[in-house]
Amino acid sequence: MSPRSTPSDESEITRRKFLEVCAEAGASIFVFGAVVCTTAKLMLPSLAEARSPDGSDKDANDVIYGFLIDTTKCIGCGSCVRACKAENNVPDGYYRTWVEQYAFYENGEVTVNSASGGLNGFADAPQLDIPETTDEPPVRGFFVPKLCNHCINTPCIQVCPVGASYKTKEGVVLVDPQRCIGCGYCVQACPFGSRYLNPETRIADKCTWCYHRITKGLQPACVVSCPAKARIFGNVSDPNSEISRLLASNRVQVLKSYLGTNPRTRYIGLDSEVL
Amino acid sequence: MGRWKHFVRLLALLAMAAGAFLSFRAMAVPKDFGTLGHFRASAIAEAAAREPRHLGSKECEDCHDSIYVAWSEGKHSKPQCENCHGPGLLHVKTVSEDSTDAYPDRIKRYPKALQPTTGIQECKWCHLKTFERPATLKSINSVQRHVEKTGGTYTAGSKCTDCHDPHTTVVK
Amino acid sequence: MHHYVVEGYVLPNQTHIYWTIMIVLYPYITGIVAGAFIISSLYHVFHKEVLKPVSRFAMLMALAFLLFAPLPLLMHLGHPERAFNIMFTPNATSAMAGFGFIYTAYLLILVVEIWLVYRADIVLLATSARSAWMRRVYWVLALGVTDISDEAKALDRKVMQFLAAIGIPAACALHGYVGFLFGAIKANPWWASPLMPVVFLMSAILSGIAMVLLCYLIVQWVTKRPIDSPCVDALVSYAWMFLMIDVALELLELVNHAYMANHDWQILRELLTQKLYLSMFVIQFLLGSAIPFVLLGALVVYKNAIGGRTRNGIAFVASMLLLVQVLAMRWNVVIGGQMFSKSFRGFLTFDVDLAGREGLFAAVFLFSLPFLTMLVFSRVLPFWGPVSSAPGRWLEAEPAEHVSLRDHSSFTDVGL
Repeated sequence: MSPRSTPSDESEITRRKFLEVCAEAGASIFVFGAVVCTTAKLMLPSLAEARSPDGSDKDANDVIYGFLIDTTKCIGCGSCVRACKAENNVPDGYYRTWVEQYAFYENGEVTVNSASGGLNGFADAPQLDIPETTDEPPVRGFFVPKLCNHCINTPCIQVCPVGASYKTKEGVVLVDPQRCIGCGYCVQACPFGSRYLNPETRIADKCTWCYHRITKGLQPACVVSCPAKARIFGNVSDPNSEISRLLASNRVQVLKSYLGTNPRTRYIGLDSEVL
Repeated sequence: MGRWKHFVRLLALLAMAAGAFLSFRAMAVPKDFGTLGHFRASAIAEAAAREPRHLGSKECEDCHDSIYVAWSEGKHSKPQCENCHGPGLLHVKTVSEDSTDAYPDRIKRYPKALQPTTGIQECKWCHLKTFERPATLKSINSVQRHVEKTGGTYTAGSKCTDCHDPHTTVVK
Repeated sequence: MHHYVVEGYVLPNQTHIYWTIMIVLYPYITGIVAGAFIISSLYHVFHKEVLKPVSRFAMLMALAFLLFAPLPLLMHLGHPERAFNIMFTPNATSAMAGFGFIYTAYLLILVVEIWLVYRADIVLLATSARSAWMRRVYWVLALGVTDISDEAKALDRKVMQFLAAIGIPAACALHGYVGFLFGAIKANPWWASPLMPVVFLMSAILSGIAMVLLCYLIVQWVTKRPIDSPCVDALVSYAWMFLMIDVALELLELVNHAYMANHDWQILRELLTQKLYLSMFVIQFLLGSAIPFVLLGALVVYKNAIGGRTRNGIAFVASMLLLVQVLAMRWNVVIGGQMFSKSFRGFLTFDVDLAGREGLFAAVFLFSLPFLTMLVFSRVLPFWGPVSSAPGRWLEAEPAEHVSLRDHSSFTDVGL
């Protein structure tokens, strides 16, 4: 029989080693866990905050803005696009608001067109993107103006890394031009294509509901210029405002409701083909 | 200290770096950041401060009262003055000889600081027929056919304003 | 930026592709970092002795790439001078805000780990390096501390192992957050997927292993040094394993989209089968996945039947293809995801800019910087073993009197 160390020595060593490993592992887990918990605790309130619900700290006298677009009235003249461009110095090739033209053909095809965002109206027939499968003109159609939806659950504010994108107490979503780093994450996160990177200022830009006008008691430029009264803007927390009365008496839809962004820009007369 | 000496120095270095970071942060972040939410609070006032460029048609009445009256009482009162003529802020400012330097070129390009009207392009925006427009909006399919049908002579330079008063649509 | 050619109806603000080559390059670089680090950790934490020959090389390679990871991001930002805002006022709900902290933490972990692994050599070189100037450099790197007693080394080893262990979740965070950055964007159906962080991480590790393998082969061939056969076999095995995991996940993503056929499937199907056919099915899956799968699989299964030189050649080709695969995957996700409009009715083509801040030339130059850095590193720290294994290269002919190579044996003797 070969000499062996006593069993108690060996088990003593392995037990000690085991305890050492446990202690090290325990310390690591504790540190890791502490870091994770602290981060979560710091993050969670902000996670809820970014969702910005209409808030329990607001009273009935606070103004909350809303926008309503009646697509049954829009004639596609493009006045809104031109007015917005001039009012807000929007660079060429980019749009804070635009109008889409939907054309339905007898064979069931649908085409959508927004040449220059509707800047020159839709009058010139060659702009129509008639599908190759038919020579017939469309059987029906309508226009859909679009702009920033100023969502309640904004995906754009959620992803802004520096807090440059924010929401005012009236519910208007804005970009701070001094803090934006121009990463473009908000542009990617907006499901509606409302945002763009301004090539001149190199920051994110979008419709502001003409914040500089509405805070002075004026209406946004696009609302004022619309000759068909297809755009309505106002205080949705005032039940007597025009917009509140319209919202209460019409069937109202929003774009991409399935995404859960809860837009404040609502529509009358939206068709299922409008995405 | 012994075997910890190099760690102590490393940690000292890291502490200095952290301190530098925090002092840069204190200098770089505006004091009002975070007071209203995760953004710079004074941005709101800055966003609200910009001067509106569209003044509204009522502002035109002061100097252009007869046109204003004809327009507001006529059939063409739905489109606003600034729809065809462009925003009026710069025009009012240049006419009253205020400084216009603060305004970027986009609305500064034109003489009298107003968009020049062509007498035809602005009309086509609404009145050239597309299939979706309501029947109540009077529109035409082609300028040439309309001119000829109404007994005029069509040339390449024909304008709607040759026959129609742009502010009331009344045929002259 | 110029307008890209559009087809069908593209939303008016989407006639530009905003995230281009630089945003493809960034996850590619951090991916290589993660993978190289995993190789190094497999030795330092999991004690896979077979990877010891490349453990130091892989660690330095991870650092070389990590140093340049923020560069593509800075080239892309509209206001790079404000880049520190993401660390001064980070938005806790933004994945992108994680970059500053995750990157800094990971950089610290990696730098300190490398420092600890090399500390004995640094101290030795501080006294006995060939040039006086370099001796000063090493002295600074040693933070002026020349204690390499056994207790100090044992302490270093403990700390280093702790760092290597937490470095693994840190590396996962460094790459996982990028996947989440894309995967959490519900606005883009090609990006939005809970699988995205996992796919990004697996392909990251794959690219790192491939880069370590490729560079190891090239450096040894060029410097005419011996290639460690079991090490290469191990790298090949790990590459094969991660390739299978990665491709399985990527295919799962595709199959899921096709099977569920959501509202976005119409446009995605056309995107994948028409616009991305070449970059996805030919380059990413056929050239980049199927062929390396066969090559690496043959090397693993027929390990004993294939001679060393053949194996090295096949491994070389396979690792190049894998690097192409991972780059193609990033391209297909980042740029592919912007080639269709959120209107779901139109497409954009992407024309590569050659010049400019975000152009191809800038990208190629940027990608060459880590390799140049490795050249610099090779002059400062030994890649392949402690200084004592090649004293003639690193030290003066006669080390200073008070220094003995025996006393300064490297951490590799105690398993570092």
